[in-house]
Amino acid sequence: MRNPHRHPLAAALALGALGLTACSAGSEDGADSAGPAQDASVSIGLAAVPANLDYTTTGGAAIFEALLYNVYEGLVRLDDDGEVQPLLAESWEISEDGTEYTFTLRDDVTFHDGTPFDAEIVKFSLERLDEWTANTPDNLAAIDSVEVESPTEATVVLSEPDYDALYWLAGPLGTMFAPDSVDDLASEANGTGPFTFESYENAVQLDLARNEDYWAEPAGVAEASLVYYSDAAAAANALRTDGVDAVLRAEAYDQVESFEGDERFEVSIGDTQSVVVLPMNNDHPQLSDPQVREAISLAIDKEAVLAAAASGHGTVLGGPSVPTDPYYADYSEERSHDPAAARQLLEEAGVEDLNLTFTVPNRPYAEAIAQVVQDDLGEIGISVELETQEFPAVWVERTMTDQDYDLTVVSHVEPRNMISYDDPDYYWGYDSAEASEHFSEARAATDDADYAEAMEAAADQVVEDAPGVWLYNSPNIVISGEGVDGLPQNDLGVGMDLSEITVNQ
Amino acid sequence: MSTASVSTDAVGSAGRGAGGVLAVAVLRRIGVFVLTVLVASLVVFALLNVLPGDVARAQLGMNASDADVAQFRAEHGLDRPLPVQYLGWITGFLTGDMGTSYSSRTPVALQVFDALQVSLILVGAGILIAVLIALPLGTLAAVRQNRPDGALLSALSQVGIAVPNFLAGLLLISIFAVGLGWLPSGGWTAPAEGFGDFLRQLTLPALALGLVRGAILSRYTRAAVLEVMREDFMRTARAKGLMPAAALRRHGLRNALVPVVTVTSVEFSALVIGAVVIETVFVIPGLGSLLMRAVDNRDLIQVQAIVMCVVVLVLLVNLLVDITRTLIDPRLRSTR
Repeated sequence: MRNPHRHPLAAALALGALGLTACSAGSEDGADSAGPAQDASVSIGLAAVPANLDYTTTGGAAIFEALLYNVYEGLVRLDDDGEVQPLLAESWEISEDGTEYTFTLRDDVTFHDGTPFDAEIVKFSLERLDEWTANTPDNLAAIDSVEVESPTEATVVLSEPDYDALYWLAGPLGTMFAPDSVDDLASEANGTGPFTFESYENAVQLDLARNEDYWAEPAGVAEASLVYYSDAAAAANALRTDGVDAVLRAEAYDQVESFEGDERFEVSIGDTQSVVVLPMNNDHPQLSDPQVREAISLAIDKEAVLAAAASGHGTVLGGPSVPTDPYYADYSEERSHDPAAARQLLEEAGVEDLNLTFTVPNRPYAEAIAQVVQDDLGEIGISVELETQEFPAVWVERTMTDQDYDLTVVSHVEPRNMISYDDPDYYWGYDSAEASEHFSEARAATDDADYAEAMEAAADQVVEDAPGVWLYNSPNIVISGEGVDGLPQNDLGVGMDLSEITVNQ
Repeated sequence: MSTASVSTDAVGSAGRGAGGVLAVAVLRRIGVFVLTVLVASLVVFALLNVLPGDVARAQLGMNASDADVAQFRAEHGLDRPLPVQYLGWITGFLTGDMGTSYSSRTPVALQVFDALQVSLILVGAGILIAVLIALPLGTLAAVRQNRPDGALLSALSQVGIAVPNFLAGLLLISIFAVGLGWLPSGGWTAPAEGFGDFLRQLTLPALALGLVRGAILSRYTRAAVLEVMREDFMRTARAKGLMPAAALRRHGLRNALVPVVTVTSVEFSALVIGAVVIETVFVIPGLGSLLMRAVDNRDLIQVQAIVMCVVVLVLLVNLLVDITRTLIDPRLRSTR
């Protein structure tokens, strides 16, 4: 057999290829061979698709994930550790009674369309929260009015103290809008951020470009494209075939290992705000007994759930808070798998022949969990019938709104969602005066320690009452290709900051 | 076929002449088309409106208040009685106004039009590949029906028929995109924006569509060619001394083509359905991707528009093929 490398044509081709590489290497040397390329672009694969660009009236985290901190900005922001940091406000002071927040604003900020940013904008944007119909504007319901002290000073007046106000101002609800732009929010985005909005085509690709006039450090890449894949495997394939440079919030858990074993890629696993919980309808005749709920909680093997739903990535939970919450406490030990204890609890409660319907959203994680739960509850003599519901359209209406269910499972992705246990109308039918009192104390707190203490007490109470079974905190899987740095590692339920991404080319 | 219609047409043709018969035949087919579209629109509207799942809640998210939901319904006319909603929708549709999407808040017609262009390119490429595969292979399988290679071709096409489109897509991706790295695993570039990228991205999805349809179509081609080979005029041709292959080339294939063209047009609807699936596998921004998103969002106005467009498209192709065949083959004017 002839050695193909000896073939004259092959040799010529190889030489040609070498020549080409030499040329391109030479031209790159002239620009910038070592550091990140200033004119680089980055494309990022994502799963959750924005329906449009208006997160004031459209639900789902996908829109503000893409736009907040990139195109839009607020007075404050969360850093990657979840701490509140200055953004358009340089500093702030909180009155002693906790009802007045006075912000000192930057004076060098303009919107992408040239509108200057000042205290009037703050008043306009925050008083407009009444117009929001999506993404829980109630979290800032305490805001009563905004006083314009001077162009660079605005005071946010609360009707009652709310310790979480700054935290919510750091998220989508705190977005600053130019008054002339709010009629077009669904299709245009005009903010003050490091990127300008370029286009959003056919719900497939959203393009951003560096804002050259940004008031702070300009973005690391000239262009950023967000590409939406409805199928997790398709996103992984795109990454493998250079269709995208990185995948954020990757859902192909089963492929993490193969990416980890591939030197062309880097995998990191950060935190999310998501609590995957199995709510039990507390208004159900037998589930209204806390002993029965606790039995169910002990019967479920959460490690097995995590293995089935997320290939073991993520953190097993026993309570309603997640590790990035300032009031996080680990309840996984006291709620660990104990079928014997569960059986005993059921016996004490005098429950026999319990048949429950489990309404399962048609999402892969939920369907995987439902199978495990069905087996586990079968072990302690509870028979579970699975009923798949389309998510979100059907599940939100039947299970969540009409509260027509026995058991269900869902990932609550909104940050600090523990406060929903303070809402007696919420779909798990949980109403506890003790817990509510702790939540009220926490809201009225004026310092960190008091706040955390009250929230921990609330969590203790909620865990004791077991309105649901807290299963796990989802992982935030970030997979990047060669040369891509600065991707946000944690998903804090606010914007996905793309400004620090750099690409070596 | 009914004898009654034959005799009516025969009487008609005596009175009005051949042109008149043709016009009546074409008009009748157009009438049936319009009626079918109207019935289809009723069915589509009715089916979508009994679908469980609330439009407003799907749009506003999990934490929307009842008041916001009511406001959304009022703003979008969802609180009106169904017949009123239907009339508003169908009159708008007929005048080209398909309404405003609940989710994207942009005119549905614009989005559907953009997506339709993409899907038609994909379907067109799929048909082309299917025909390029089916005609030679089907003919070969017929000519060599008693030899091993003919049997092998038949078996291969059987396998092809059994493979669903999405599986063909996934296989092609894992071999040619992920495995060999020759072609991208998905995405779409408009031909005007970069023809090379366009071709590279089109290849695998078009193959996924075309291979499966080609397998099916080659079965029909084989059957049609076999049929033709048994015809009298073929026997005559061969009796005059033509070799079988030459006889087939000169006289047989053209005749075999008529049923094949008919089947191709029927297969068009299957191709459109296949494209819907293939688009989601390959992340192509066509009607299929738009439809999946619209269903997820319960963007009923968009779902209605997309489904109706596909229905009209398929019926239109059938109508055109029908009329063309009527024009080509005089026998069809009176037998139906």
